[in-house]
Amino acid sequence: MGYSGNNDPQFIIPTCIATRESPANTGKSGASTNLASKRGIDDLDYFIGDEAVANSKTYALSYPIRHGQVENFDLMEKYHQASIFQYLRCEPEDHYFLLTEPPLNAPENREFTAEIFFESFGVKGLYIAVQAVLALAASWSSSKTEQTLTGTVIDSGDGVTHVIPVAEGYVIGSSIKHIPIAGRDITHFVQQLLRERENSIPPEDSLEVAKRIKEMYSYVCPDIVKEFKKYDSEGEKWFRKHEFIHSVTKRPYTVDVGYERFLGPEIFFNPEIASSDFLTPLPEVVDQVIQSCPIDVRRGLYKNIVLSGGSTMYKDFGRRLQRDIKRMVDDRIKAYEITSQARLAEEAQIKAKQMEVNVISHKKQRYAVWFGGSLLADTADFYSYCHTKAQYEEEGPRIARYNKVFGSIL
Amino acid sequence: MILLEPSYKILEETLRERFSNEPEKLVMNVADFDGVTYRVSTPESKSVLNISMSLKCYPGVQQYGADDVLRRIYGDALVAPEPGFDVTIRIDQDNLPADREALIRQIALLKRNALAAPFEAAFAAQTNGQETQLMTVHYREQEAYYIKAQHDRVTVIFSTVFKEETDRIFGKVFLQEFVDARRLPALQNAPQVLYSPREPPLELRGVPGVQDSENVAYVTFVLFPRHFAANVQEDTISRIQLFRDYLHYHIKASKSYMHSRMRTRVDSFLKVLNRAKPEQPDDKKQMKTASGKTFKRA
Repeated sequence: MGYSGNNDPQFIIPTCIATRESPANTGKSGASTNLASKRGIDDLDYFIGDEAVANSKTYALSYPIRHGQVENFDLMEKYHQASIFQYLRCEPEDHYFLLTEPPLNAPENREFTAEIFFESFGVKGLYIAVQAVLALAASWSSSKTEQTLTGTVIDSGDGVTHVIPVAEGYVIGSSIKHIPIAGRDITHFVQQLLRERENSIPPEDSLEVAKRIKEMYSYVCPDIVKEFKKYDSEGEKWFRKHEFIHSVTKRPYTVDVGYERFLGPEIFFNPEIASSDFLTPLPEVVDQVIQSCPIDVRRGLYKNIVLSGGSTMYKDFGRRLQRDIKRMVDDRIKAYEITSQARLAEEAQIKAKQMEVNVISHKKQRYAVWFGGSLLADTADFYSYCHTKAQYEEEGPRIARYNKVFGSIL
Repeated sequence: MILLEPSYKILEETLRERFSNEPEKLVMNVADFDGVTYRVSTPESKSVLNISMSLKCYPGVQQYGADDVLRRIYGDALVAPEPGFDVTIRIDQDNLPADREALIRQIALLKRNALAAPFEAAFAAQTNGQETQLMTVHYREQEAYYIKAQHDRVTVIFSTVFKEETDRIFGKVFLQEFVDARRLPALQNAPQVLYSPREPPLELRGVPGVQDSENVAYVTFVLFPRHFAANVQEDTISRIQLFRDYLHYHIKASKSYMHSRMRTRVDSFLKVLNRAKPEQPDDKKQMKTASGKTFKRA
């Protein structure tokens, strides 16, 4: 969260809240009596974000958002309250707010959120934007793109990767695909590789080491076999050494960083090396997603594939993805040309127009959604797209069911 | 989170992060309570940091000696303000003082320090047994606080505007509570708080710009010398400055408390309703076999 017009978010904190309630009596039956019996200022005794994690020993920690959906609106309201007053320190009545939602969020959730923001906080205006659209907007900062709101967003965080097609600012919900490979899986895979090869790592630190190696050294290679050869022939050029400090004894030790560097991110492209239950590589999933969209937007979707989220930050990730998708599309077009026009003479055959495939990576990829939001909220038009307090009072929470797509006219 | 902190968290964390890392370019615009905006930037070189603050009422507090207070606290770091801002502090990251935390803390308190001048002036005057004229700080549009030192006390009066009907009621209940709470034996030493909805208290009669309308409320604090003795003075100033935000924060907090009560109540009503669903009469009931097929009894 942060103020618009800035490059980086001011706060990055986990969505968790620590309340003064022992977990034993937060069960479904006890909840109602519990709440009513609270008197005084007990309900203000809570922490959010990193402070909540730090206090988790004496407080009950809970996560109001699960799988991108708000589950507990009571806690979410408190969370908003602390983030507005304690972290951002602003009087909500003076400000416009931009919130984000995952694709396929239920309209009821939007209504509840609008209710919280207008009724309890009395905000001036509210806009709820779809994360994928903001990620598209963030890619405008990259110089080689034109400013469109059509494109495919690959959003890969820690837990899950989504491929989301967006046409003119509207998400094509039926074509969204999820891939159960994301940052956490890469970390585990790197950890497993290290366990097999490297013996200097103390077992209690291995997860942390794997994470550091993933974040600092990983890159995507164009060809896995050649890369292995390169490492074997001139090892000293490619192997890296990194010094870690033991978390308990504070004694330093060195770790050789080798094949993990390119094998980690490789599980996006060859998932079979890490898991046995999901076997479709990412480029293929992207291709399937776009093929399942209406035919008239497909060109636009291929042309503008945008990366967002921390697990897309590996060097050359975009280039590899672009090459793989391009190859797949070209093969298909060629095969189609051959089968459909086989009986025609050579000179009568029509050549299909080359499909343009572009994967866009940019500097703001990591917090692309936030950056897109900051960019759009800073434009003068933003205020006219918001739902204002007056509108809310006129119509009630149902205004939040529909959010105008803005940015399309920019 | 019962009290709001006087320091500004964003500045605090940004500075802490910057001081422990390599300097890089930065431009950041952020806002604080009461329409205050900050701009943190590195206009000349990567390591020289400018922190500017714009404050609507700064010209107002300047006449009560705000410049002197800031100069006392920030010393040479205080430079001529950037255009569009009222206060600018410049920090050279290459030669930081040894006690970084103290510096960070002082910068995070920039707004509080800028507004502290009239309070300090009033407290000093009272300690010397003098009276001051009524000092007015228009900290928001339409809202202001007034400070006056008298021979035995310092009076601070807040005016605040409630935008909504419900807020006003909550505010009234909340402020009434202040008066009642003082009767508790444990709180005998608390400053006296008077609350007057609608019309300004006697001290403010005849002061230009004082509003008299339905949604304005006035809160008066009477501070005796024990409240601004040297050891508690800093705290008193921080708390009193944040009073308005504190009030509005608690109004919002009590609203969200009410909302969560309402939600659980609706849930329990829904449960009752679900229980009260009439059972289908026997002849309309569909019977199912173990495999899920339906049939009619002959």
